[in-house]
Amino acid sequence: MPFAGFNMPINYKTGIINEHKNVRNHSGIFDVSHMGQILIENNESYLHKLEKYIPLQLKKLIKNRSHYSFLLNKDGGVIDDLIISNIDIKDKSYLYIVYNASRKKEDEEIFISCAPNAEKIYKENCLFAIQGPDSINVLKNIIDIPNNMNFFDILISKYNNNEIIVSRSGYTGEDGFELSIPNESAENLITHLLKNENTMLCGLGSRDSLRLEAGLSLYGHELNEKITPIEAGLSWALDKERLEDENLNGNKILSDQLKNKLSNKKIGLISTSKSMLRDGMTLFDNNNNEIGKITSGCFSPNLKKSIAIGYIISEFNTDNPIFCEIRKKLELVKINNLPFVKKNYKKNGSKYE
Amino acid sequence: MGANMSEKKYTKDHEWVSIENEIATIGISNHAQESLGDIVFIELPSVGNSVKAKDEICVVESVKAASDIYAPIDGEIIEVNNNLENDAAIINQDAENEGWIFKMKISDSNQYSELMSEDEYKQFLEQ
Repeated sequence: MPFAGFNMPINYKTGIINEHKNVRNHSGIFDVSHMGQILIENNESYLHKLEKYIPLQLKKLIKNRSHYSFLLNKDGGVIDDLIISNIDIKDKSYLYIVYNASRKKEDEEIFISCAPNAEKIYKENCLFAIQGPDSINVLKNIIDIPNNMNFFDILISKYNNNEIIVSRSGYTGEDGFELSIPNESAENLITHLLKNENTMLCGLGSRDSLRLEAGLSLYGHELNEKITPIEAGLSWALDKERLEDENLNGNKILSDQLKNKLSNKKIGLISTSKSMLRDGMTLFDNNNNEIGKITSGCFSPNLKKSIAIGYIISEFNTDNPIFCEIRKKLELVKINNLPFVKKNYKKNGSKYE
Repeated sequence: MGANMSEKKYTKDHEWVSIENEIATIGISNHAQESLGDIVFIELPSVGNSVKAKDEICVVESVKAASDIYAPIDGEIIEVNNNLENDAAIINQDAENEGWIFKMKISDSNQYSELMSEDEYKQFLEQ
């Protein structure tokens, strides 16, 4: 299937549900080379310019740690969501940013305007994610992983004499790693990893159902330029000190939103029938008033029911029933706290030095 | 399979039809099953309904998408495969036998003969 200019597999041989379960129970490998990867020199003037868009104190980021963050527009809306890390490569300090394939054009315009010598490395480097509780066991025989590496730690390791960027991260709700590796060694690494019988290649389909069960937002669905991180329920990812900083895009709007009631809220939904909840379906109260829309929906292999994320108006009292229009019929859906499936990260560590 | 079982025919909407004693059995083709991926739910048609060819009569939901199933020919729905209620994945395992979806009493057997043979369907898929 075409995806952001790439031809991507929705699933491999055994199907979405099997891939999904394998990640939850063992491990699975995703080729996410379509995503953007850029290195920005850790230079004070560049960081100051980037701080206009990124709601973190970039100068204080701890070395060898990653953070979930955003590029924000003037209204505090999300241009993209991304993972940003502070890392040394060949004795030089960089910010390493991984961003969405569908937003390369918009993001790179900003990155290059802030740091003209920023290096896009996704043409030379593949990006693989190995996800699931067994990822560490599959990986540690092949790549040196220190025992004390926690979720969102990042470091440089070696494979076949190539330097590779290894971060303990991912987007499935499971423990796992992302590996940025030069193209010439990429196939070797995948073949090497797949020698383990309990792992398998996984496609976009299971990537979507895994992140949805984990309650994680996807750009173009829960996030877009008209939604702020606060409206998307992601205020935890904003540095609150930066909201007082005039240099941050939309800082006033965001700090007001933090103090006042929002017009919409993000919710998790679970189907009460066997019908599937899907992106774009409309939600109603029991008087047939439209109260919101679904932004992502899928079949949850763990819950064996359809689950969804959506937005509804804040004034709606969630003790009242919600109906979803499915093929011109209204079907009862139930609110479910996010995430649908408990996250399973190896956690520790703080944000700043 | 019965002795009077006719040749299996196919529609452009990727359904298969076989006829025995003027009763048509209908399901989705193996190709359709493969492209839909894991099937998680099927909304079966109502027994007793009279339908016309090309009417949308039920829906198959896979992890990827919802697909309408059309009546391949005119007739009356006389039976549905209730096993699919509990386990729609039977269609993934055996789309063209155990995964049959519904049976119809047909009113016009000419419509049936106009459908594609297995070879014609194979050619249609290659186009």
